[in-house]
Amino acid sequence: MIEKSAERVSSLSIRLAGYLLVLFTLFTLSSCNRHNDSKGNGSKSRAAMDTTLVISMLGDADYLNPVIGATVTSSNIFGLIYPSLLQSEFDTTTGLMNYMALEKKLRAVTPGQGKKAPKGAIARSWRLSDDHKSLTYILRSDAFWDDGKPIVSADFKFSYQLYGNPVIASARQQYLAELVGADKGKVDFDKAIETPNDTTLIFRFYKPVPEQLALFHTSLTPLPAHRWKDVKPDEFRHSPLNLTPLGAGPYKLKSWQQQQEILLVSSRKSNLPKPGNIPAISFKVVPDYTVRVTQLQTGTVDVVENIKPEDFTALLKANRQIDIKTVGLRVYDYVGWSNIDQAEYRKNGTFKPHPLFGSARVRVALTNAIDRQAIIDGYLKQYGVICNNDISPSLKWAYNNRITPHPYDPAKASALLKSEGWLPGPDGILQKNGKKFSFVLYTNAGNARRNYASVIIQQNLRAIGIDCKLDVQESNVFFESLQSGKLDAWMAGWSIGLEIDPLDVWGSDLKKSRFNFPGYRNPRVDELCELAKQKMDPVEAKPYWLEYQEILHRDQPITFLYWIKETQGFNKRIEGAELNISGTFYNVDDWRLRPSANIAQ
Amino acid sequence: MLIYIFKRLLIAIPLIFGVLTLTFFIIRLAPGDPAAFFIQPGISPNVAEQIRAQYGLNDPLPVQYFKWLANVLQGDFGRSFSRAQQPVFDVIAEALPITLTIAILTLIANFTFGILIGIISAVRQNTFLDRFLTVTALFFYSMPEFWFALMMIILLALKFPFFPVSGLNEIGAESYGPLGFLLDRAWHLVLPVTVLSINGAAGIARYVRGSMLEVIRQDYIRTARAKGLSENVVIFKHALRNALLPVITLMGSALPFIFSGALFIEVIFAFPGMGRVTVEAIFARDYPLIIANTFISGSLIVMGNLFADVLYAVADPRIKL
Repeated sequence: MIEKSAERVSSLSIRLAGYLLVLFTLFTLSSCNRHNDSKGNGSKSRAAMDTTLVISMLGDADYLNPVIGATVTSSNIFGLIYPSLLQSEFDTTTGLMNYMALEKKLRAVTPGQGKKAPKGAIARSWRLSDDHKSLTYILRSDAFWDDGKPIVSADFKFSYQLYGNPVIASARQQYLAELVGADKGKVDFDKAIETPNDTTLIFRFYKPVPEQLALFHTSLTPLPAHRWKDVKPDEFRHSPLNLTPLGAGPYKLKSWQQQQEILLVSSRKSNLPKPGNIPAISFKVVPDYTVRVTQLQTGTVDVVENIKPEDFTALLKANRQIDIKTVGLRVYDYVGWSNIDQAEYRKNGTFKPHPLFGSARVRVALTNAIDRQAIIDGYLKQYGVICNNDISPSLKWAYNNRITPHPYDPAKASALLKSEGWLPGPDGILQKNGKKFSFVLYTNAGNARRNYASVIIQQNLRAIGIDCKLDVQESNVFFESLQSGKLDAWMAGWSIGLEIDPLDVWGSDLKKSRFNFPGYRNPRVDELCELAKQKMDPVEAKPYWLEYQEILHRDQPITFLYWIKETQGFNKRIEGAELNISGTFYNVDDWRLRPSANIAQ
Repeated sequence: MLIYIFKRLLIAIPLIFGVLTLTFFIIRLAPGDPAAFFIQPGISPNVAEQIRAQYGLNDPLPVQYFKWLANVLQGDFGRSFSRAQQPVFDVIAEALPITLTIAILTLIANFTFGILIGIISAVRQNTFLDRFLTVTALFFYSMPEFWFALMMIILLALKFPFFPVSGLNEIGAESYGPLGFLLDRAWHLVLPVTVLSINGAAGIARYVRGSMLEVIRQDYIRTARAKGLSENVVIFKHALRNALLPVITLMGSALPFIFSGALFIEVIFAFPGMGRVTVEAIFARDYPLIIANTFISGSLIVMGNLFADVLYAVADPRIKL
């Protein structure tokens, strides 16, 4: 009886579950149909697909305001909305930046370069005074903001005052460092920037400035003064105007759903340089890497930046419409060795060589011991290049190609260490005066490439009798330990600027050179940096940079590991995409989308 | 009972306050700097200092605390550091409905499927069906949710593209009309809610099965059957109501789990909900946002527990509050 009734109940439950399942399936199917409808049925939505480029981004833009937008994502986007005084382009044959106004170029364009027309520049031309202390721009008179008001020289002066305002705390205030008054701590805007009329803009410097640097530092993106003039500096960061940027560039903001999507549409009236070819660009926030890659594979998004080399094969096999484009070389990884005894320096401010890494010979030995090519072959493959120092091979004009990389040579490494007094102990670990060669190599969490490299480094070092333990720290914690000199050895990376200025990283005055984490000190390096800065034409500083590279190669303040080509996934329906070292999206207004009818599925 | 609820709410105030104070100090003692982003070559060293001054981080810690306290007592939790200085409650007002939708749907799915499977296993104890359900439940129960989520994406969004990979809506969903928009939203919620609820449902099924088995053997169930009541009435009215007592307490404690589950679900599926807001706030050391999030989730958990206790009294007349 009980058995029977139990059966009845359970059959009831099963029926109930069945209903639920049917309901669920129905819902699924109905949505499925709707879904297919929205994709397949409508020429409307196919048309929408054909006219919208979808770019995935890791996080939302912070501000679409050139004065305070600090992330790369932000500047990629506001770069499309706002106009610029000059057009700039990185010349890949020379490795030099070129700046262009409508009727003037800093350098002659080398063949095969100059893909970007200077039509977007607001400046017609410029003139640098003979003493290199004043720069006069003549602006065009046919440039207008999207609301129809003309773009005038006063907009630039107004914007520079915003950039320089400490309450606004712009991350770009460094660009004002040469203006009159900056040497005394406060830019004197009345003297530093003059606007005798709407189309004349004069910058004055307190010292002679090389033309390239002057152009670079005076071409910050302007804001429309008439729109922003009543915003108080302490309200600048949370002004509602930040959500409705008024620009003049090839695109304008259609909608911004924070943390989800930024939608730009081609600005029909723009003549700076022209309305964007693709009618709409959607920047979609997709925080998870795997999901971004999946979306590229399914065609939901068209561009995903920084795809890991390990995912290429599967991705290209799954969808032949995907193309991997590379750009570089701007980013390198390194193993940092503390050159000085950090504890001693923190306590007494005195410099004592680090007990393990204090000698250049030991550091060279460590570089010899690490098989950098194996890391490249195993992880980066053709997207990595051995790194000798922090001047990128892409900066061809300054790169020293006579330097032969330190080879992977464990025998040589052992010999060097032996000559420094490091001899194998009973447990096989090297010892010197009773001290073991043993340390912890720190790196930041969440970087698969560095994890991979650190394991190989650990094995390589173990092979010559060095005990290297690995530790991974949360990024904030890692950065703080690094800044406060708590780490003896670490693995990190730098992304270099396109202007060579290494004093921040290698200067001997550790208080000024905030990023000299290893505490490397070589007066000749300081001297070379100063000498190079004094040259009014950067190309003339070449001999100094060649010598600089030889010194770094000899001293090995850190073990430079490899340059990384950034690898971006593109859907092949995008045409005309030119990647430039200055940015993946540098000519996005010239891109075109091939209609889906032509895409073979 | 009203007095009881009132008392509990009164006790909750110092409790939540204590949690906030602890959070305030813990996050400030943790290594990391909200202005760290501005410490890099090419950016003037002044910027980080100016940013810290803007955030009021240059004051000594006790001063910061009392300033914060004064503001909080006036209901002002401040502005977010990392999200364009939006007032934190604006950030939360955008994010909370999304997380609540996921949490409520998950809670419903959890208990519906959990109780159903539990009853089936209990009533058909030791049959093949019971064993099958038990093993399946254990299988899902022991699976890490983030991994399961990625597997579901690979299977149901990539290999067999039934569901969207991420996001709350299709691009341009606004043009579908209100019903279309809602359907599209529901469509995007299927995978995440399934992932979140399968694990929980499996756990609840185990509970229900256990307590159901115990109840079915009681004398009053035999009496009910002896009276000639139909089996449906016996199981659903007499047995289930008693068997559900321990499960009800689960409901209160399930809330924090669902909230923490929402953390990774939102990151994986790119939902701009509370979970993602919290994770990003922690990585960016966005102090005001972290504290406001703690406040919201703390309050919800306290409420959830209170709700469970009250439900308990409603379900079991022997319990007097």
